[in-house]
Amino acid sequence: MPILVKYKVEAMSLLIKGGKIAAEEGPLVPGDVLIVDGVIAAVGEGLDVPPEAQVIEAEGKIVAPAMFDAHVHFREPGQEYKEDIAHGTEAAINGGVTGVVMMPNTSPAIDSPAVVRSILERAREVSRIPVYTSGCITKNRVGGELSGIDGMRQLGVVMLTDDGDPVANPAVLKNAMEYATPFGMFFASHCEVAELSGPRALNEGKISYQLGIKGSPACSEEICMDRDIRLAHAAGAHIHIQHVSSAIGMETIRWWKKMGAEVTAEVSPHHLIFNEEDIGDYDTHYKMNPPLRRAEDNAALLEGLKEGVFDLIATDHAPHSTFEKEQDFVSAPNGITGLETALVSLYDRFVTSGQIGWDLIVKRYSAEPRRMMGLEVVPVEESKPADLIVFDPAGETTFSREFMRSKSINTPFLDQTLQGRVELVVRGSEILLQR
Amino acid sequence: MARKDFLDIASLSREEVDLLLDQATPFKELFTRSVKKVPALKGKSVLMLFYEPSTRTLSSFEVAAKRLSADVIDLDVPHSSVAKGETVKDTVDTLQAMRADYIVVRHKMSGLPQAIARQTRASVINAGDGAHAHPTQALLDAFTLREVFPDLSGRKVLIAGDILHSRVARSTSSLLLKLGVEVGFLGPGSLIPRSGPEGIRKFTDFDEALRWNPDTVYLLRVQMERQDAQYFPGVQEYHRVYGVTRERLDRIQGEGIYIMHPGPVNRGVELCHEVMDYERSLINQQVENGIAARMAVLYSLKPQTDLEDADPGKI
Amino acid sequence: MPLILDEAAIGEAVASLVGEIRAVALRGRIAIVGVRSRGDEVAERVSAALKEQEIDHDYGVLDISLYRDDLSHLAENPKLQSSDIPFQVDGAHIVLVDDVLFTGRTIRAALDALTDYGRPARIQLAVLVDRGHREIPIQPDFSGVSLETARMDHVIVQLKKTDGGDAVELVSKQ
Repeated sequence: MPILVKYKVEAMSLLIKGGKIAAEEGPLVPGDVLIVDGVIAAVGEGLDVPPEAQVIEAEGKIVAPAMFDAHVHFREPGQEYKEDIAHGTEAAINGGVTGVVMMPNTSPAIDSPAVVRSILERAREVSRIPVYTSGCITKNRVGGELSGIDGMRQLGVVMLTDDGDPVANPAVLKNAMEYATPFGMFFASHCEVAELSGPRALNEGKISYQLGIKGSPACSEEICMDRDIRLAHAAGAHIHIQHVSSAIGMETIRWWKKMGAEVTAEVSPHHLIFNEEDIGDYDTHYKMNPPLRRAEDNAALLEGLKEGVFDLIATDHAPHSTFEKEQDFVSAPNGITGLETALVSLYDRFVTSGQIGWDLIVKRYSAEPRRMMGLEVVPVEESKPADLIVFDPAGETTFSREFMRSKSINTPFLDQTLQGRVELVVRGSEILLQR
Repeated sequence: MARKDFLDIASLSREEVDLLLDQATPFKELFTRSVKKVPALKGKSVLMLFYEPSTRTLSSFEVAAKRLSADVIDLDVPHSSVAKGETVKDTVDTLQAMRADYIVVRHKMSGLPQAIARQTRASVINAGDGAHAHPTQALLDAFTLREVFPDLSGRKVLIAGDILHSRVARSTSSLLLKLGVEVGFLGPGSLIPRSGPEGIRKFTDFDEALRWNPDTVYLLRVQMERQDAQYFPGVQEYHRVYGVTRERLDRIQGEGIYIMHPGPVNRGVELCHEVMDYERSLINQQVENGIAARMAVLYSLKPQTDLEDADPGKI
Repeated sequence: MPLILDEAAIGEAVASLVGEIRAVALRGRIAIVGVRSRGDEVAERVSAALKEQEIDHDYGVLDISLYRDDLSHLAENPKLQSSDIPFQVDGAHIVLVDDVLFTGRTIRAALDALTDYGRPARIQLAVLVDRGHREIPIQPDFSGVSLETARMDHVIVQLKKTDGGDAVELVSKQ
């Protein structure tokens, strides 16, 4: 665990010089950025350097609004050996992320104001970035009684989800939606039909046959997606579909959006980059839920991201200990970490090849996630609060054990070197990271 | 063949397959001697890690190991209580004290032998993992078939039964395909994988399958204990539609088709009683050849337990 | 490549062996057992010569890979071939035949293998080439040619059936 150092620059004045500024719309625009006392004082080419300013050279580098991850698992309370708020938030910063939404499948689950309160307090103690949390729809996520919805709402919770599982009984979900929507809360769905999913290990298809493990068919996810969107539509609720892995499922979302339903959706970097063939010889670094599907799904999901079917990118950061992931494929827990690798991997795989641009990354991994949570976006513009990163496209990042800030290293990128590097993270008057 | 582990058929090259099949013959020849033992594995220890019940495979491996003069240790694992991989990992860690050279593993979790092989210097032999692979079975099946058909390429083998859950179906079909055999699958639609391997004919009608003119029908045990849901409406219907009934046996006999089965058989389900007395049943040869095939595997592998500069992270 | 024995010389060596073995065979029934590989081809020639002279005898072939004392030290185990001992070993007078006698370990393995088939009355050893440097107290009863070699030299025997031609070469390791 690195030393938690807060760099507070005195009479804080920071000039980021010579970079190219990324925004949700439009191309990269060259410009210097002057930050004074936590606010962006000026943006433009050839800015004057105030005498007391700390100057950071950003020639050839990207200056972008900091990222926001709407789907992370910090395992606190209950499984702190995998991750905790302190390490998870440091991992976020390491990946250029300055805001996160925690998922409530902890132990105890985040299903009451008491647990929410303890989490927010803990975050205030140890985290250098704001931490938001979702709340369970049902108590302990078992799909029965409704959780302490209003109590959680009073503490600022806006997203309700039983992530990790779907809500099995549609009547329960519909009632919850009708109850909580007038409070301005929205619902996020982990979609699958439990009876179809088998041991939840991998996609049903060619690879599941070869490896001799009962697979989860894509229709399991698709059926539940369809169901949850219809329920939300009938209940007048906003539904956000989490971690979509299936191309056909994505079409369901597209259709319902066309029909005017209030539905948003997220896709994870791993569902864009990897598919079932990567599992190879039972490598649990490619085991998650929903599972990796086929190469055709990778391609279709990427197109969907470009076309705006997906509102945001979220990692589903799911830390697990090495011991757990070393078990046989079925027994090993689902998930990989993502906070530290997301931005670099998206850049390395898709931006370098010209498939997507920085505008899409800023929109889908910085702006839209904040909007969904009712937060202000943080563009690199004059008079906006400073909440930005500097990214070196020519640099490289090696995801070694030493590089990681997370407690867990269960990522397929372990010990790999990818193109791109997060070099600076600034939030308000603080430099959170500087390489 | 400088290979540490024997985990599946997919990872074997054609040369390795041919070598193993050729090596089984001299081991079978040893059975005719009065002294059936040879000292090739003297001083080596072979550990049996059987998490699933099995008398025939376990004893076949034990006899094979003993005939190579190895010391056999049967780690008596409680069959009922093991469900999680954690327990297996702890067991693998305690093997450090025993310095096993070979570990023979059977487990209901697919991929478990792979996981063990990565963590130990010993040679790991897969004696059956979940629905994934049973490579020594495939070897003895191919060896048995080769005794009847010295030139296997172009022959046709029909594998019949619960293909979906069968590691024998996967390994044996995989090996036969490597040897140039044409393979067909026959079974209820719910038990034939739709995204199965390429190049295999799929049948859901026994008579149609017989019109394909297979040289051999390989019957699988219908695995009642592995089924989480009902895949077909009961054993009587299964036997009538997909089993070798008296009538089908007459037809099979008339066409001189051979019958194989990995055992143990379910009389009245996949076959009628009379099949056990059929003169072209190769079921007994399969059992006999199992020992020779397993001896060939043990002989051909090289554990890394003698290496002094091996990876210290491994036991 | 320094050729030590050509086809003619090999023929003479075989003939010399046959002469000596014949004398033994006339005194009582023997079994010629060739040690794979190449020892079996030498044994074949000896056996053929004896048959020509109408001397009845038993014949077998032995693969000793399973009895080698160095299996643990090899990166790869040698390819196994079948042995074939179709006669009763108990009480037999066996003449083991090999192409080259060097350290003696191969013959030690052959003796172990043979005694797992039964209890011979007597075992004698015939070799085509004796190149010295014994590591075990084993000596041939009959040898065709004795060669002076250095320990690290390679003696390469080639025979018609196995290698396509008859030759014995000595390669010095300098």
